[in-house]
Amino acid sequence: MQKTLLATAVAVALGVPAVAAAQNAELEQIRRQIQELKENYEARIKALENQLKSAESSARKAEQSATEARAAAQKAETTAGRAEQSAGKAEDSAVQAAQRPVSQNALNPAVSLILNGTWGRYGNDPSAQITGFHGSGASEMLPRGGSLGESELFISGNIDPRFRGAFLAALSPEGVEIEEAFVETLSIGKGATLKGGRFFSGMGYWNSVHPHAWDFTDASLVQRAFLGKNYGDDGVQLRWVAPLPVFVQLGAELGRGKDFAGMGEVERNTNGKSSEAFFAKVGSDIGVSNSWQLGASHLRQRTTNTGVPMFDYDDLTGLVNVFAGRQRITGADFVYKWAPEGNPRYRNFRFVAEYYQRKLDGDFTFDTATLALTDPANAKQSGWFAQGAYQFMPYWRVGLRYDRLSAGTVNLNANAANLTAPSFNPTRWTTMVDWNPSEFSRIRLQYARDRSRQDIATGETISDNIVFLQYIYSLGAHGAHRF
Amino acid sequence: MKTLIRIALAASLAAGLPARAALEVFACAPEWGSLVKELAGERANVYVATTATQDIHRIQARPSLIARARMADLAVCTGAEQEVGWMPMVRNQSGNDKIQLGKPGFLEVANHVPRIEVPAVIDRALGDVHPVGNPHIQWGPRQIQLGANEIAKRLSQLDPAGDAEYKRRLADFTSRWSTATARWAEQGAPLKGVAVIQHHKNYSYLFEFLGMREVGWLEPKPGVEPTSSHLNDLVQQQQAEPARMIVHSSYHAPAPSKWLAERIKAPAVMLPATVGGTEDSRDLFAMYDAALKRLLAALGS
Repeated sequence: MQKTLLATAVAVALGVPAVAAAQNAELEQIRRQIQELKENYEARIKALENQLKSAESSARKAEQSATEARAAAQKAETTAGRAEQSAGKAEDSAVQAAQRPVSQNALNPAVSLILNGTWGRYGNDPSAQITGFHGSGASEMLPRGGSLGESELFISGNIDPRFRGAFLAALSPEGVEIEEAFVETLSIGKGATLKGGRFFSGMGYWNSVHPHAWDFTDASLVQRAFLGKNYGDDGVQLRWVAPLPVFVQLGAELGRGKDFAGMGEVERNTNGKSSEAFFAKVGSDIGVSNSWQLGASHLRQRTTNTGVPMFDYDDLTGLVNVFAGRQRITGADFVYKWAPEGNPRYRNFRFVAEYYQRKLDGDFTFDTATLALTDPANAKQSGWFAQGAYQFMPYWRVGLRYDRLSAGTVNLNANAANLTAPSFNPTRWTTMVDWNPSEFSRIRLQYARDRSRQDIATGETISDNIVFLQYIYSLGAHGAHRF
Repeated sequence: MKTLIRIALAASLAAGLPARAALEVFACAPEWGSLVKELAGERANVYVATTATQDIHRIQARPSLIARARMADLAVCTGAEQEVGWMPMVRNQSGNDKIQLGKPGFLEVANHVPRIEVPAVIDRALGDVHPVGNPHIQWGPRQIQLGANEIAKRLSQLDPAGDAEYKRRLADFTSRWSTATARWAEQGAPLKGVAVIQHHKNYSYLFEFLGMREVGWLEPKPGVEPTSSHLNDLVQQQQAEPARMIVHSSYHAPAPSKWLAERIKAPAVMLPATVGGTEDSRDLFAMYDAALKRLLAALGS
């Protein structure tokens, strides 16, 4: 008895047609159902002539499943009581196997929606900017009290064998902003990819990452001051991965200069490019538990002839000043990750540090409304941050970040008499703890000791305690585990 | 810039570029690496992207993986959403047209084998469910054979010069695999009908092959870490449906299994998640041998 069972099991496992004959009427019925099932598919295949290829493969699968189901039914013969249940299950799986699309979303693009909300507490007015760094993204600060924040709608998919497209819109109570909308090539090969449309620049590490995937609720001070929340442009990007066992990537971007980085949108009515960015990344593993990536980036931009509003430091004067010229931002970024045995499931650690230097060179006009004194001006400022996030047990992470900006040198020449650049170096410490009960949800509490502002009148540093409570939920397609 | 390139070149030389084979193969998981080595021998240079101590579902698109995918002529993955979190990104970042979806150089084995546990209802409230069924197909002997057939087909397609060798190797593998499968069925006979609790549904194909009965999972929902309340439920369940052993994989923390093992007086067994998960599971054959050995030992204890 045991041996017969075994032989049957082996035969079943190897897919050799079993010979045992079924006497049971119930089993005959199951067979008939399976046969009907097969006929059903064949009919469906005929109806889907334009999808012949994929239909064929699914029919084959259905047949396989049907064979399996039959095998399961034969197995069930030995125990008459279990036969019914087992065959039913097999039939179910035959139906389901054929019904489910083989690829993630069949012909539909992958769609995901990020729901994000924050509750913020500031001691001081959050709309004030970082002292000494004009255009330091005051508008990017999360508001006081409860706020919905940005919900992000992400749609992506392959367009045809040559192109892939992606669309990402941020929906906030203020309106809809198209953050990214691009197509990129799949078929150039040789490590090259060409991307066109609107996209976040490949500069640095965090810049191309959407805020919901950041380790902290808000951007680093240097990112906010020099790049805005995420610096992006309308243009083209070419990137290339070298054929080496070590990751080496080079990239170049040409854009119209939609944003003057860190200073918001620019009205442009010009042909051609106004902005170019370059980046290089190198990365690899050290053993199985460690991996790293080192990057360098450079951005060059020109303002329009009319310039951009700049250098009113803290809105004290209420005057409109304008800068016309170019800026060059040079940066370096480093990422290190650790997970025991390369398995981040229980414990993992990520360290990120970025440094940027911004050089401005052009003409500065003080008080455009009345005085309108124009004279050459230049500035060289820099900033950096270092942060770590550690998952010490499943679901729980803690993080620590230090931010520092250097006021550097600002030469306003003739305008120095009208406006004094503060020699103040903003700093900030941030800590966070978050709970991630699944890959799709995160609740975070963050506390920052912020010393990024100075009372211009007294020269005293303004300290602020900033607290955020945030939720981030993701619905729909499974997101990518970016490095 | 130049310095960066120089560093990269130096590093690559230090890493030692392997001798040129006819095909560069990127295997998403060790089982497919092992299978490609069986079927291609020296004709393929195989890079295995993950290890048996890693939860393959949680891998990140690391720079090293992108670099290796860049050079691949063929990528062999599990599919069934097993690598959904990282492989699309690796492919996209690699700039390698040969391994894009729909190309002969990209193979998802699960698309070519029957899968069990295809859910009737798909909802994330049910945990990390895989819409097209259980993706741990490396534990189904029949699934491995069907996977081998498809891999051999792709190897011939991509490297026609090696066609005869691939066919010869496939025939050889098929014969050895069917002999081994029969042996495992025979050795595993005492396990038939044995009730087992597993951490995650890693071994469902193996248990089906051996006729073992799954009576519980340490995870309350797939991909969700065991909770103390759920473990206590399993202790309660032991009275009605006693399990003879608790099985977890080489990438799972052993603590929950051990905790339950003490309570219900049944042994906790660690099985290789895949090839390389234990000292004695260096290839696919050894992996099944190692699993059988451990299950039988647990039954005897």
